[in-house]
Amino acid sequence: MQPVKYVQVKTSFVEHSWFRSATIGIACFFTFLLFMAVGTLLLVLKPSELLSALLSEEMIYSMKLSMLTSSVSTLTVLGCSVPTAYALSRFDFPGKSLIKAVLGLPMAFPELVMGLALLLLFGHGFLGPVLEALGIKVIFSKLGIVVAQFFVAFPYAVRIIYSTFEDINPRYEQVSRSFGYGEFETFRNVTLPMARSGLFASTVITFARCIGAFGAVLILAGGSYMHTEVLPVTLYLNISYGNLEMAITSGVLLMVIAFLAILIFERFEGGKL
Amino acid sequence: MSFLEVRDLCLDLGEFELSGIGMRAEKGDYLALIGPSGSGKSLLLETVIGFYGLEKGRIFLEGRDITDLPPDKRQISIVYQDHVLFPHMDVFENIAYALRKKLKDKTLIEAEVRQIAGVLGIGELLHRKPSTLSGGEKQRAALARSLVVRPKLLLLDEPFSALDARTREKLRDMLRKAISEYSTTVLHVTHDFEDIWALANRVVVIRKGEVMQEGDPESVFRKPSPDFVAEFLGTNVLKGKVKALEGKLTVLESEGLEIYSADPGKPGEEITVSVRPEEIILARGAVESSARNTLKGRVAGIFKKEHLVVVELRTGNTELKAVITPTSCELLDLEPGSEIYAVFKAANARIIREPEGSRGNCVGNLDGNLDRNLDRNLDGNLGCNCEAKAAAEQG
Repeated sequence: MQPVKYVQVKTSFVEHSWFRSATIGIACFFTFLLFMAVGTLLLVLKPSELLSALLSEEMIYSMKLSMLTSSVSTLTVLGCSVPTAYALSRFDFPGKSLIKAVLGLPMAFPELVMGLALLLLFGHGFLGPVLEALGIKVIFSKLGIVVAQFFVAFPYAVRIIYSTFEDINPRYEQVSRSFGYGEFETFRNVTLPMARSGLFASTVITFARCIGAFGAVLILAGGSYMHTEVLPVTLYLNISYGNLEMAITSGVLLMVIAFLAILIFERFEGGKL
Repeated sequence: MSFLEVRDLCLDLGEFELSGIGMRAEKGDYLALIGPSGSGKSLLLETVIGFYGLEKGRIFLEGRDITDLPPDKRQISIVYQDHVLFPHMDVFENIAYALRKKLKDKTLIEAEVRQIAGVLGIGELLHRKPSTLSGGEKQRAALARSLVVRPKLLLLDEPFSALDARTREKLRDMLRKAISEYSTTVLHVTHDFEDIWALANRVVVIRKGEVMQEGDPESVFRKPSPDFVAEFLGTNVLKGKVKALEGKLTVLESEGLEIYSADPGKPGEEITVSVRPEEIILARGAVESSARNTLKGRVAGIFKKEHLVVVELRTGNTELKAVITPTSCELLDLEPGSEIYAVFKAANARIIREPEGSRGNCVGNLDGNLDRNLDRNLDGNLGCNCEAKAAAEQG
């Protein structure tokens, strides 16, 4: 048998409109600018400068605190967003659309305003005295960092996990129910395992959002030196002192974390586990 | 009380609707539910198994009211067209998962799994993940999973419709064997007429959420009730009048044709006649045969439908559709305009009567819908008929 030959047809550019060229041009130009910006950030410091900034006491403190708070917030966020997303995806209950709308708000909401709102909520007017009586201090404390990160990342996590659950045909759960398994058993045996790649992806994105959260953290926990100082706060504090090496190093760190997160997210999103 | 009894079941989901469905099945029955898409057949299954609550009506199984029981307490299994095997478990795990609520002993579970796997011929596939299986294998695994728990009732929602004809046939045999071995009562939603012939002992016809006709396959197919059922079965429908009685036969005049029917009639009575397309034999000349009806006509159109050929012929003031195999089509050298005889037995000209006070006639519709319905049928019971017919045509 003759192998089939595919003739490649060369399309001429003559017919293409200016519109096509313009869209492609804009796409290339601004991606290139972004690429340059990232490149500058990564290359502006000499490796020795980067290393010494990395090993400074302040940077190590900030890194540790960032990792710790982000891990705690990520776990809390997941613990809350999985049930929330499942309820929104599977059950009908009064107020469901209201919850959906409220959860959508922070996406368009400036983080700074969110921080302010949280400050007022946990401040002296409302929950503050109650929590203080219980010995819990949210404002200007490490706990405040976690709270701020939680509220910044929670809506995003709910959204990702919600779409993961929506992608799972409820028939799988119904079939499991028909074999005598209750709702929770079915959730644990069927839904969660089937959602695992979506859950993993949302974990990564949640962690990246938590570690990068700045506005809300600054206002609620009040970025104070070596106390509530996480990586974005380090960047902010050092740039205001004119201490460029430290600022750039924390920027590089945040960038690397974000990049890894996106990479892992792309790899696992869509059930390609 | 019957084994399964559905009473006045009502549910409105907007898109689909059930209005006052009543149905019963005895133990060991194999009920086929047929009806056009969107008629609520699948929804009916999902309310019986308990995935949807009811607005009105009761469901009884073994004399017990199960209307308000959650699906995990009903002991009813379901198999869907898209098999719904858990992708994160291999075939063995999938089947064993179904059993774990019933049996705790591991060796017992394994024995049960192996037994059903043997019956359905998937013993070799137990360690495979569902994504690596073919369509037929997946469906067998899904059947195994549903049967292994020995459900009181097995629901099948078009389980074979995504499979090719040969696989379907093989699966039907296996299913028949398995349900007799596990003595299961079955409700089977299908579009495929061969499912009904091969498996069902009762047929329920549903349209727009209502039961239109019920009975054994023979009576439903041979004596389709007027209007909808005839439409769904894709038959030729002619309006006419009884002209005379001739011995045991009734002579009908319809659309300028004279048709003999074996069904009784009164002279002068207005009737509708149904002739199923696969029961019409085409011949080049007027043949001497035992068939009483020989109608001369001209080919108006020839269409391929799946593996068969539909021939439209103009005769009298109407058009008849006949279904033949491609081989016979070639042998007869048919093309539009050629002269042709349609031959069918008097026994195959069925007289349909509108019941008193039924809605107006739908003959106009029937013709228009024939095409759409025909391709469903063609898959089905025509296969064997056509072979015989092809032989007749050649002979």
